[in-house]
Amino acid sequence: MRMWTFALVRLAGLLVVALCAGVLFGHVVAWLLLVISLYLAWQLVNLNRVDHWLRLRSQLDPPDLGGVWGDVVAQVVRLHRRKRYHKQRLVQLFRELRRSTAALPDGVIILSGAHEIVWFNRRAAALLGLKRPVDVGLRIDNLIRVPEFVQYLRAADYATPLVIRPPVGEESWLELTLVPYGAGQSLLLARDVTRQMQLEAMRKDFVANASHELRTPLTVISGYLDTLADDPAIDPSWSGPIRDMRAQAQRMNAIIADLLELSRLESAEGEAPRDPTDVPRMLERMQRDALAGADRPRHVLLALDSQDGLYGAGHELESAFSNLLVNALKYTLSDGTVRMRWWSDAEGAHFAVTDTGIGIPAEHIPRLTERFYRVDAGRSRDRGGSGLGLAIVKHALQRHGGHMTVESEVGKGSTFTCHFPKERVLTAGAAAAALAAAGGR
Amino acid sequence: METADLTHHISRRFNEDLEKVRNQVLQMGGFVEQQLHKAITALVEGDSRLGESVATDDYKVNGMEVSIDEECSRILALRAPAAGDLRVIVAIIKTITDLERIGDEGEKIGYIASRLATMERPADKYREVKHLGRQVAQMVHDALDAFARMDAQAALKTAREDKMVDEEYESIQRQCITFMMEDPRAIRRALEIMWIVRALERIGDHAKNICEYVIYMVHGKDIRHTSLEDVARQIDAAQALPRR
Repeated sequence: MRMWTFALVRLAGLLVVALCAGVLFGHVVAWLLLVISLYLAWQLVNLNRVDHWLRLRSQLDPPDLGGVWGDVVAQVVRLHRRKRYHKQRLVQLFRELRRSTAALPDGVIILSGAHEIVWFNRRAAALLGLKRPVDVGLRIDNLIRVPEFVQYLRAADYATPLVIRPPVGEESWLELTLVPYGAGQSLLLARDVTRQMQLEAMRKDFVANASHELRTPLTVISGYLDTLADDPAIDPSWSGPIRDMRAQAQRMNAIIADLLELSRLESAEGEAPRDPTDVPRMLERMQRDALAGADRPRHVLLALDSQDGLYGAGHELESAFSNLLVNALKYTLSDGTVRMRWWSDAEGAHFAVTDTGIGIPAEHIPRLTERFYRVDAGRSRDRGGSGLGLAIVKHALQRHGGHMTVESEVGKGSTFTCHFPKERVLTAGAAAAALAAAGGR
Repeated sequence: METADLTHHISRRFNEDLEKVRNQVLQMGGFVEQQLHKAITALVEGDSRLGESVATDDYKVNGMEVSIDEECSRILALRAPAAGDLRVIVAIIKTITDLERIGDEGEKIGYIASRLATMERPADKYREVKHLGRQVAQMVHDALDAFARMDAQAALKTAREDKMVDEEYESIQRQCITFMMEDPRAIRRALEIMWIVRALERIGDHAKNICEYVIYMVHGKDIRHTSLEDVARQIDAAQALPRR
């Protein structure tokens, strides 16, 4: 502010001097014009120096201008310095960030909305065989051409990570996860899961082998138990224990059979085959078998709202459906009702089993399909069952692109529903045509 | 680099069309690669089901070829591309033919592998064939990478590998003849192996062809039936020139 007053005073002083000179020597107007012109010229020179300095700011020291101009220049210098400080800090932060993402043990790739590569770290380059800088701007699915990955990108459902064989390094496995963020951009994370996959394979092999090995001795044991049970020479006091042993041996047989079925489902890669399967007839047969059983609920009903079938593996579907039915029968009292329903709609085909049994508390529902998971250890064990039924259902459905939902209320009963996608549905018309063609042949 | 030609275009739709068809080619390539991998795995692990699935899935490759071909004809008719774009289209039309042939050879390998799975397996578990298969699969992969990156240098490098594949083919052939002379009972199997090795060698040739199309696409030089040394010289000369 002081500078401005000073400048004003100086201007006023100059004008007074010009006026005095005008009065002394005559030509007042000319004197005033002369002084004002000189003042203007001086200001223009200053302005030019400031302009020149601003243009080449980085190379030159600020001009040494007094007064108002010096003030302005000082402001600019201060502003500039502050800005440079912030910029440096940002650059530093950015570098640090880059360095830390580059050092991540997982591969990170930034993708644009069109799945073009924007940036990737060193690990991603090593895992996926990317090259810098030629690959920046290329579409990721042009370089990772594995069909599953292309589908994964297109499906836009990134909830579950995708495990693929990478383009480089034959024997390894990669887990890819896409995380969308911001305006259409996404982050592709790549992780080497070879070890986990190997462990998983070992576990599966172990289960399959162990079940297989257990089968033979168990057959021998149950064979002898069968003979002993029918042997009149045995002391009658042994008949109780022998009966128990036979029952337990049968249960073990069932568990092993389920384990083998499960490991078969797990080891079968990819989708289930697409054989035409007549689901309504299968369900009718299952209902007949259930009604023929001894200890069963009073009503076992079947509602066939649709005559559609499915494209799938018949025995896997049957095993899934019968596991659900057997569960329902097991947990329903003798005066209860078990309903089966088969229907199809715009989304696909559905199969539901509803019972009026004991129900399942809500907190257990998400874990039902885990192996050997028991809602109530004591109660379910004496009803038999291997604890693998629902795991089998889940795997069989997965192989058909389907899924299972469970609704339940404690004390009122439960509903297990299998959902199949539309592409798996064999419409009744198509089934009849296929049947006619087969008959004509 | 000439890659920029693809992205700077007056008509945005044309750009998109070109990009789309290029993507389709690479998708087809990805599928063919997988078929080849599966076929080799089926042979090495004696998995007859996998071999059969390769043989039955070949129709998908054919379908892709037809649809890409149609798309290319459409672009040619509608847009009448010139210069670099025309080369891209021509290269694509040729590339998919070779990819389809690779698919056919893969189908053959899968089919023979499923048959061999029922026969007795040799002690070395087809190690040589596996090695050759790896080499050829890598060649196809590199050729497609070069296609995606429009990288003439990489294409040239990959094309050179075909010579190694040929040498390997010769050596397995000699080995098979030795087996047949040693033990006449092995003749049947050795003959089947010969078919597979022959198919792999052909795949190597097709991969080499794709590399040649990449060079043609990038530099506009037809290098078929030219020695690779001459090609290398020509590419170096072309890169020394300023961009046309």
